[in-house]
Amino acid sequence: MKKFLATMLALAMIIAMLPAALADEALEPITVTVFRGDPGEQPTDDNKIYKMIEEEFGIKFEFEFLAGDLDETLGLKIANEDYPDLFDGGNSAELIENADALIDMLPYITEEGTPNLYKHIYTDNRVAQLLDEDGHLHIIPNYGINYNGQIQNAPSGPQFFLQKQVVAYNNYVVPKTLNEYFDLIERFLADNPTNADGNAYTGFAILCEDWRHFCLINPVQHLMGRPNDGEVIIDVNSGNWETTTFINQPYAKDYYKKLNEEFQKGLINKDTFVMNFDQYIAALSSGTILGMFDQAWDFGTATDALNAAKMYENNFVGMPLVYDESYGYGVIEEHYVNGTVMNKDRGFGISVNCQYPERMINLFENLLSDRWQKILQWGIEGEDYYVDENGRMLMTEEQYNQRSDANWKKANQALAIWESAPKKQGVQDDGNAWAPGDQAEMYFGFMNEYDIDFYAKLGVKVPGDLFDKTLELAPYGEAWEIDTTPIAVDKQDFEDIQDKRLPEMIMADPAEFDALWDAFVEEINPCAKVFSDFMQEEVLKLVELALGE
Amino acid sequence: MTAKAANIALKPVRKRGFWKTLGSQWQLMIMSVPMFLYVLLFNYAPMWGWVTAFQDYTPKKGLMGSKWVGLDNFKWLFSRADFIESIRNTLAMSIINLVFGTVSAVVLAVLLNEVRNKAFKRTVQTVTYLPHFLSMVIVVGMAQNIFSSTGTINEILMGIGLTKEPIFFLGEEKRFWWLVGVINVWKEVGWGTIIYISAMTSIDPCLYEAASIDGAGRFQRILHVTLPGIKSTFVILLIMNIGHLMEAGFEIQYLMGNSLVESYSQTIDVFVMKYGISKQKYSYATAAGMFKSVVAIVLLLSANFIAKKLDEDTLI
Repeated sequence: MKKFLATMLALAMIIAMLPAALADEALEPITVTVFRGDPGEQPTDDNKIYKMIEEEFGIKFEFEFLAGDLDETLGLKIANEDYPDLFDGGNSAELIENADALIDMLPYITEEGTPNLYKHIYTDNRVAQLLDEDGHLHIIPNYGINYNGQIQNAPSGPQFFLQKQVVAYNNYVVPKTLNEYFDLIERFLADNPTNADGNAYTGFAILCEDWRHFCLINPVQHLMGRPNDGEVIIDVNSGNWETTTFINQPYAKDYYKKLNEEFQKGLINKDTFVMNFDQYIAALSSGTILGMFDQAWDFGTATDALNAAKMYENNFVGMPLVYDESYGYGVIEEHYVNGTVMNKDRGFGISVNCQYPERMINLFENLLSDRWQKILQWGIEGEDYYVDENGRMLMTEEQYNQRSDANWKKANQALAIWESAPKKQGVQDDGNAWAPGDQAEMYFGFMNEYDIDFYAKLGVKVPGDLFDKTLELAPYGEAWEIDTTPIAVDKQDFEDIQDKRLPEMIMADPAEFDALWDAFVEEINPCAKVFSDFMQEEVLKLVELALGE
Repeated sequence: MTAKAANIALKPVRKRGFWKTLGSQWQLMIMSVPMFLYVLLFNYAPMWGWVTAFQDYTPKKGLMGSKWVGLDNFKWLFSRADFIESIRNTLAMSIINLVFGTVSAVVLAVLLNEVRNKAFKRTVQTVTYLPHFLSMVIVVGMAQNIFSSTGTINEILMGIGLTKEPIFFLGEEKRFWWLVGVINVWKEVGWGTIIYISAMTSIDPCLYEAASIDGAGRFQRILHVTLPGIKSTFVILLIMNIGHLMEAGFEIQYLMGNSLVESYSQTIDVFVMKYGISKQKYSYATAAGMFKSVVAIVLLLSANFIAKKLDEDTLI
């Protein structure tokens, strides 16, 4: 009897599943696993945008966000071949590409079948830069593909930062050179050793944890007037694209010697060299760090925290510093901001374990349509924004402000998908900005009083006006994007030596500095050579690719 | 002649005995099967992966397809200064942990054993062993705050005038091993005493009485009754710990290490993590792990051998 019942039950289940199997494949509801190579928050179950996606495409997402170290997490996934369907390898996506974890998307993208994606990657022959050596397309960039030009109200990349109150203290004159910058911090500290609560200010912070050690290493190239090429400096004028590491050059010594001087004067705290990223963010958020070199996207949480606490004068303004003429390198023009840089190899790839590659491509294609881009970036018309009689997309102050509320975002935005998916940036065909934050009416309309006053006194419309925004991107792009996994061990040595020796030198007795520097150069030269030789070869390949034979 | 005959006579009996015993204990045998399978599956089967130590392994080509390179990976390892350093660090931190850990546990156990107030004894025991249950992440987070240049320790030291400048505990190589030792003692001392205290309860009270009657004071009773009473426990634990000398821990060094102290903080396990998982040089990492296991086996066997020579209890 039991057996009979069990058989009947099994039969009933099979019959119940039949219609689903017979139905149109495209509408079959599926659950797609998604990995994001950075920490994030799970959306709420009733998130309205994900609900719309589920209704329209029959796709439900299951998110996994990075917890812990990225390289280790990816390494484990690769060793187990445990890949999600949509795979964003974050800042180490090279690892999963080299492990053949991602499918080649190129055959799926055609002018007729997927017009939006086709236009997205074939315009300006962008695709040439996106393909790997075998001609495969693994990842469509998550950022950096602009429509109708780029809006740069505030650069998100590398800058030297100062608290706004320090610039205000300087009668709203922004330092232009390294010496002016530290001189200003010294003067401010002499007059204001502590804040109103009696907590001591720290003049300059240097984050050097793991891959974020760029805060320690990268300033040298910018002080020499070059954009972010990672750990090399490239001579764009010579015609043979000579690529060298800069950290072992005399002009790098100048920077670290300066830091050594400032350390002796007490502007730099020893703890800065042993702090991790969370401690760094906490320090910035407390408003007691006066300045640092960083990239704006790196400490966005601290910026948000300071704004939320209405500590506007403790928030940061970025500036492009260079060496002044006293260093003997002539007049250096700043070059911090490049023209559009595609965020190559960053964003979603489709893993080889994904059973529905067509549907994933179809999803990206549809999400890239103007209708969906508006939903993803602006929200629902009438609910999250409105359109005035001139066709301008606008938000009320309440609508605008709720966008920075973490809880609201979890229920009303599809950030975990949107951030890593192909997207439209820049300006819409009708003149509205794609990103609500870039829409001029709102950028200025909802700026806090302190900032309105601050930028007015600086004499700029937007913070980005402190930078030269007319500079062209070099044909190789930005060299930090180059995949260095083939020389992983040498690069590790190259970086380990810097991470150890540079802080030691900064904290050293000034009398010993020169000797320590010479020892450092000698120690690092062998792996620096391996690294620069490799980079030279890759840069030449990219230039050839971009300029054509 | 007699011995031979006895052998011949005994052999079949012994064999039958084995099967008979096995048969009569079948319930026990069945119960031990899962453990046996567990060891086979998780401790022996993965050893197959050791072949990657002799290959230029990539997951793409797999175990069968990767190129054989002989001892190249080991040659590479021993040409690396950071690997030699990580062996040194592992042994140094292990020995510091072993000495600090054992001495502090024995001392605390002896002291607790002498305490007559039950409530006080229980409280101290509970308070000292609770940190054992804290995650190392939390312990290291606390330690980083306490030992930072504006932390409690530096404030106390500067307050009582022992130092003018704050001491840079977290970024100075020479302090790292000792810092790990101190943190480990704080975390594990209470846990370590449990086994000694239980050994002490099994000491016959008559011995203490006899010692008192013979005129032994408190210290003499500790010296001549308590300590000899826990000697065999002490030796067994020592042998076990020597077998674990290559395990200086992973979490604390991984979490507390930073680029300034790396050449003193990196243990073999951290090295394996760095190259094997982050850099995906699986073969190097396997070779390093294999080296570690072989040394650990040698250490365990020699400790056992020495203990046997000393006519003490042995493990194997």
